[in-house]
Amino acid sequence: MNNLVKFFRSAIAGPLAALIIAVILISLTTDRFLTTQNLINVSLQVSTVAIAAIGSTLVILTADIDLSPGSAAALTTCVLAILVKNMQIPLPLGILLVLVMGIGLGFINGFISSYGRIPSFVATLATMSMYRGLAFLITEGHPIFSISPNLEQIFYGKLLGIPLPFIYMLVLYAAAAIFLRRTRSGRAIYAVGGNESAAHLSGIHVKRTRLLAFILAGLAAAIAGTLMSARLNSGSPNYGVGLELAAIAAAVIGGASLAGGSGNVVSTLFGALTVAVVQNGLNLNAVPAAWQNLTLGAIIVLAVGVDMWRGDIGKNLSRIFSFRKGDENPGRQRTAS
Amino acid sequence: MKNTKPPLWELREISKAFPGVQALDKVSVSIFAGEILALVGENGSGKSTLAKCLAGVHQPESGELIHQGEPVEFAHPFEARERGVATIYQEFSLVPTLSVAENIFLGRYVVKSKLTGIDWEMMRQQTSEILNTLSIQFDPDEVVRDLSVAEQQLIEITKAMSVDSTLLIMDEPTAALGLAETRQLHELILRLADQGQAILYISHRLDEIFQIADRITVLKDGRCIDTQPASSLEMMEVVRMMIGFDIGQHYPKEINVTSETCLEVDHISTETGVNDVSFDIKVGEVFGLGGMVGAGRTEIANALFGLDRLTEGSIKLYGEPIQLSNPADAIHAGIGLVPENRKEDGLFFNFNGSLNITLSRLSSILKWGFLNLTQEHQTGKYYFEKLNITSSGLERSAQFLSGGNQQKVVIARWLFSQAKLLIFDEPTQGVDIGAKIEVYRVINDLTSQGYSVILISSDYLELLAMSDRIAIVRDGKILQISPAKELTEYELLSIASGAEGNGNG
Ligand SMILES: Nc1ncnc2c1ncn2[C@@H]1O[C@H](COP(=O)(O)OP(=O)(O)OP(=O)(O)O)[C@@H](O)[C@H]1O
Ligand SMILES: [Mg+2]
Repeated sequence: MNNLVKFFRSAIAGPLAALIIAVILISLTTDRFLTTQNLINVSLQVSTVAIAAIGSTLVILTADIDLSPGSAAALTTCVLAILVKNMQIPLPLGILLVLVMGIGLGFINGFISSYGRIPSFVATLATMSMYRGLAFLITEGHPIFSISPNLEQIFYGKLLGIPLPFIYMLVLYAAAAIFLRRTRSGRAIYAVGGNESAAHLSGIHVKRTRLLAFILAGLAAAIAGTLMSARLNSGSPNYGVGLELAAIAAAVIGGASLAGGSGNVVSTLFGALTVAVVQNGLNLNAVPAAWQNLTLGAIIVLAVGVDMWRGDIGKNLSRIFSFRKGDENPGRQRTAS
Repeated sequence: MKNTKPPLWELREISKAFPGVQALDKVSVSIFAGEILALVGENGSGKSTLAKCLAGVHQPESGELIHQGEPVEFAHPFEARERGVATIYQEFSLVPTLSVAENIFLGRYVVKSKLTGIDWEMMRQQTSEILNTLSIQFDPDEVVRDLSVAEQQLIEITKAMSVDSTLLIMDEPTAALGLAETRQLHELILRLADQGQAILYISHRLDEIFQIADRITVLKDGRCIDTQPASSLEMMEVVRMMIGFDIGQHYPKEINVTSETCLEVDHISTETGVNDVSFDIKVGEVFGLGGMVGAGRTEIANALFGLDRLTEGSIKLYGEPIQLSNPADAIHAGIGLVPENRKEDGLFFNFNGSLNITLSRLSSILKWGFLNLTQEHQTGKYYFEKLNITSSGLERSAQFLSGGNQQKVVIARWLFSQAKLLIFDEPTQGVDIGAKIEVYRVINDLTSQGYSVILISSDYLELLAMSDRIAIVRDGKILQISPAKELTEYELLSIASGAEGNGNG
C-alpha cells in the first residue's frame, strides 16, 4: 500500500493526471466519447503509436534518440506486402521475417551510433531517410493492396470481446516494464543513461547496452508496422509519417527525460493514451486537423513543463500557504525503482 | 581578532530545510575582514549549505544576512557577487567545452566596444596574470575538458580569485589538490587575508585548518556548536565537537599482510604514460602509491582496471595471467576501483542508494533470472548500516547525500562486488573525519579477510599511516618501493617532487 502511494507520487502521477483531465474535459464536450464503440476505436488508434513508443522510451532512457521508427514501420509494411503477396510466402513466416528485419534495422541504428560513435540524432536522421527511401525503391513508390485475407484478422480480431491490438499493447508494455525493472539489461539501460562513465567503471558494457535499446526499438517499430499493414491490409512507403514524433511525444509526456536515465514505460503508456484521447476528442468535436497539431504541441509543452516546474510549484504553494516545508517532491528527479 | 570592529558579514539564525532534512537550524556566525574563518563538521552537517546561502545559491527560510550592518537578501548568485562575495563551490562549476580563459570570465566577458565585441586579448592576458600570481602554469586557451581534476580545481580557484571580492568562500578547495598545490594555495590565502580579505574556508583536513585558520566554527547536524579562536582549540577537541564523541586512534592501522602473492605487475607500460612499472602485492597488504598530482598514479590504477591498454608487460592475479580490455574484465577477474571523481565516475543520480550499490554484481541478486528487488533493498540496507550511511539515502537519489556519504556508497558497491583487489583512488577526499576512520576500518576489515588494497592518496599522513609498503611514483615510473614504516613524510615528499635535498615540496 505504502509502495503503491509512493509509486503514484513519484513517476506516474503527472501523465496519469493529464490523462484523467483529458478524459473528463472531453466527456464534458461530447457524449459520444464514453461509448464502448468509441473507446474501442481509441484503443485501435493508439496501439501503433503506443507500441512504437516502447522503443522510443528504451532509446531515450539510454540518452539516445531514435528518429527512424516511422520509416522502419513503412518499410515493414512494404516488405511484408512484397513477401506475402508477390512472393507467396505464408503470412506467419512473412511476419516473422519482417520482425527479424526490424531487429536488423534497429541493429543498424545502434551500430552506427554506439560503435560508429555518430550521435544518435544524426545516425537515425540518416536511417530515417534511408529506410523510407528503401521502401520507395522496393515498391517503386506504389502502395500494395490486399496483401492477404488473413492479415486483417490480426488487427480487427477480438479475444473475449477485447480488440487484439489492445491486448498486444498491454502484453508488450507488461513485458517491457518487467524487462526494465527486473532484468540486468533493463537496469543497465538506466545506468548507461544516468551516468555513462560510472556505468563503464561498474563493468557495464555501455555500447552493447545502447545497441540493445536500439534493437528493441527496431523490433517495436516493426510490430507497429505490421499492425499498420494489417489495419489497411496493404503496404505503402507513405505509411508511418510522423510516427517517430508521436512516439517520442508519448515518452516525453510520460516524463522520460531526454537526458537519459529517468522515465518508465507505464508512464509512456499514459502519455500515448493522453495523445490518442485528445485527438479522438478533437475529432468527435469536428476540430480541424491543423488545430489538432497545435493542441498536441501545447500538450507536450504543458506535460513536460508541469514535470519540470513541479518542485517550484510545490515550493511556491507552500510558501503562499506557509505549509510545512520539506514535503515537496523534487521535480525531475526519479529513481528507477 | 579584530573583534572590536563590526563584522563584515553577520549571519543571524539562518535556517534552511531540504526535503527530509533540516540542513541548517538557526546558525549564527560573524565573519570579519582580514580573517580566515574555518567551517568544519561531518558530512552532511550543512557546511556547503551555509556557504551557498551566503553565495546567493540558496535562499534561507528564516534568519538574516547582514553585510556591514545592512540586512541583505539574495535572490541570485549575481547579487551576492555584487556584494563582494566570491565562491569556490565544492562541485565544479566549469564548462568543460570552453577554454580556461573563457571559463574564468564566464558571464562577465570584457567588452571592448559594441563594434569589436568581446576583448579576448585582454581576458587572456588577465588570465595569465592571475595564473602567474598563483604560480600555476596553464595555457589560457586550453580546453577545460582536457585538464585533470586537480587542474580543474586550480582553474576553479583562479576563477573565484579573478573577481574583486571582500569575502572569498572556499568549499573544500584542496580536496583534489596535491601537497605542493595545497601549500601554494595556503600561502596565497594568508596573503589575501593580510590584505584585508575575509575568507570562509571549508575543509575536512583538520591539519590544514589548524595551519591557516584564525577562528573555527563547528557545525553538527545543521546546528552551530561553537566558534572559537583556533589558538585556543586542540584538534581532538574539534573532532569531539564535530562527531560528538572521542575517536581514539586517528589511523587505526592493522597489519594483515600474508606471504601469499595476490597481484604481480611485470614491466607494464601504457600510452597514457605508465612507464615500465613493476611491483607485486601480497594478500592482505595495503600497497600505497605516493606522488604528486599528475605523477601517474591514477594511470597505473587505470591500467590495472582495464581502462587503459597495456603496450607492454603483463599482470597476474593469484598466479594467473589476466588480460584486461575493459573494466568488466577487471571486475570479473576480481579487481574493483573506487574512482577519484565520485560524482562524474562513481554515482548514479537516477538511482537510489541500493541500486547504486548492487550494480557491480547484479548477477548475485537474480532469482530465476530476474532481479530480486527485495533482496536488493536488503543488500542496500546492510551496506548502509555497515558503513554508517545516512539511511534516507537508501530510498532517495544518491544526489541528496552529502559528499562523504556518496563516497561510502561507491565503496559499498565494491565491497558488494566481492573484488579480491580493491584500488582506492583518493578514497577519503572530501570525507569527514568520522567517515575517514570508517574507511580505514573498512580497509582493515578487507585486508583481514584476505583482500588486498592499492591506496592512492595525496594525504601523506594517511598514506604513511595506512599503507604497508609505499611506491613513490613520478613521471609514470616507480622510483622506489619501501616499507611505510621506514619512510618519513619529508622523504616521501622530496622524492616524489624530485626535489631531493631542499624539500620545499
Ligand atoms: N539540493 C539539495 N536537496 C536536498 N537535500 C540537500 C541538498 N543539498 C544538501 N542537502 C542535504 O542537506 C544536508 C546538508 O548538506 P551539505 O551539503 O550542506 O553538507 P556538508 O556539510 O557540506 O557535507 P560534506 O562535508 O559531505 O560536503 C545533507 O543532509 C544533504 O543531504
Ligand atoms: Mg559540502
